[in-house]
Amino acid sequence: MLIEGKFTLKAPVQNLWNFLLEPGTLASCIPGAEKVGAIDDKTYECIVKQSVGPISVRFKFTAVLAEVDPPKYVKAVGRGEALGKMGTFTCDVIVNLAENPAGEVEVSYQTNVNIVGRLATFGERIMRAKAKSVGEEFTRNLQEKLKGRTDG
Amino acid sequence: MRKELRLTVNGQPYELYVKPKTLLVEVLRNNLGLTGTKRSCESSSCGVCTVILNGMAVKSCSILALQADGAEITTVEGLANDGKLHPLQRAFLDYGAYQCGFCTAGMLTSAKALLDENTKPTEEQIREAIDGNICRCTGYNSIIRAMTAVMNGEYKEEK
Amino acid sequence: MINDFDYIAPKTLKETLTLLDQYREDYKIIAGGQSLLIMMRQGLIKPNYLIDIHGISELNYIKTDFKKRLRIGALTTHRAIERSPVIKKSFSVLAEMENRLASVQTRNWGSIGGNLCHGDPAGDPAPVLIALNATLTITGVHGERNILVEDFFLDYFETVLEHGELLSEIQVPTIPSNTGIAYTKFNVIESDMAIVGVAISITLTSKDGHCEDVRIVLANSAPKPMRAKQAEDLLRGKKITDHLLKKAGEISSDEADPISDIHASAEYRRELVKVLVKRVGEEAITRAKKS
Repeated sequence: MLIEGKFTLKAPVQNLWNFLLEPGTLASCIPGAEKVGAIDDKTYECIVKQSVGPISVRFKFTAVLAEVDPPKYVKAVGRGEALGKMGTFTCDVIVNLAENPAGEVEVSYQTNVNIVGRLATFGERIMRAKAKSVGEEFTRNLQEKLKGRTDG
Repeated sequence: MRKELRLTVNGQPYELYVKPKTLLVEVLRNNLGLTGTKRSCESSSCGVCTVILNGMAVKSCSILALQADGAEITTVEGLANDGKLHPLQRAFLDYGAYQCGFCTAGMLTSAKALLDENTKPTEEQIREAIDGNICRCTGYNSIIRAMTAVMNGEYKEEK
Repeated sequence: MINDFDYIAPKTLKETLTLLDQYREDYKIIAGGQSLLIMMRQGLIKPNYLIDIHGISELNYIKTDFKKRLRIGALTTHRAIERSPVIKKSFSVLAEMENRLASVQTRNWGSIGGNLCHGDPAGDPAPVLIALNATLTITGVHGERNILVEDFFLDYFETVLEHGELLSEIQVPTIPSNTGIAYTKFNVIESDMAIVGVAISITLTSKDGHCEDVRIVLANSAPKPMRAKQAEDLLRGKKITDHLLKKAGEISSDEADPISDIHASAEYRRELVKVLVKRVGEEAITRAKKS
């Protein structure tokens, strides 16, 4: 399941890059993030809860910063499970920072979420319905977080 | 905590104590040993679990056993009378209306429920009666022919 | 796997309301369970308490009142609605819709109230009831409130029902003269849920056959059953031509916000909306002229 988004910020690209790589910045922007803890400077453990009506699922996963190409590109890889024996979960996130001629930075991300198991079989419709709003919320969260750190 | 459940199945009364989460199909198969009714899809689509409850065809995998408290249930085992096959069963044999047999119990109970309600259904009504029962083998036509033959009076109940 | 839960089966509405008040957040109500049990078996919903209202006969009825409005108790089964002589005679689109809902076995046990409260945007009853301008009564410990069916849904599987409340009745007003209502859904296997569903109600003026009022309602084209209001505005007050209906289909298709899943892509769903709105619109007009 592909989720992507992008936005533009007026800030020096190096500042944005530094904040992006700070402990747990990306992870804490995930909608429904309940717990984000650093295991080392590249690895985080996360618990995320998502609900649709009366249905709620908790995902517990480890996220690792796998590739970095400062200040343009970062790739993080997540592996974990949907708690309650609902399945396993993998997810790759790529974030791109691109400076445009107007001196702004375009931040774009793509994530490929793959869920296998009971949640995927029975919850496919529900997850696809939710994917769009999760993507939109993540985009907002990331934008606010980066903007908040680069303003003033 | 178990709760009391009283049912009549194929004319026989039973009194059981079951956990609330028990499904009707589990009571029939596990508690009462009536394994004619099958269980398969876990999504209420296939119909192999169909039984007749208070005269209505229902999917027993989609009903909590406790909701059937006080009900009269007929399973496929209840179709034959004293060892003599029901007309529907004889028609299914004659028309080759089964191959692997997995959907057959559900088909028979759906057919019986239709017959009890409407002795002269149209072809459309016959098809409608089994549209909640999936068959992987026969392509349905032999099943419809068997049901039609019974509805047309080609088979008499054996006494 | 279903989780272990505590179970109680009240026999009256009054008893139920007391229980709802007592259990506050922890419970789930089960009626026929034809939607709820699937999700519980799949481990998607795990309530600690299940309040089984299936046996409350006082919520199971079909009647018309002195205003000739149809009043359906929330626990009325789909099958009862499908076969009700009153409904077949005066609100036939409801019987037609129920006839295509799932399969006989599900219709025999599942209730219309349970279907609405489950809040699945692919559900069949909601778009037809919205096209009929139906209302609902929600009953809680502290009293009743009435709401239009179209205001009942918030999002996927989410309705305005608060804890402590349950749906008790559905009311359908008499259908105005010169009105035709039709519903269809597109699915691959009979007894499947709608890939897309469309319900349309058209009222023609008695004078010149122009469109006096119209409601176009889409199922499984958005997070909840939705009215294609821009398409409706296009038709209202005008003489409905073939060309205009085609345009209404296109506008409805743009208004829709469907997802892609294993059954169909979002693009295919939009195409279905376009085609079905025109088709169902034509049927509704034919029925309006005959009425």
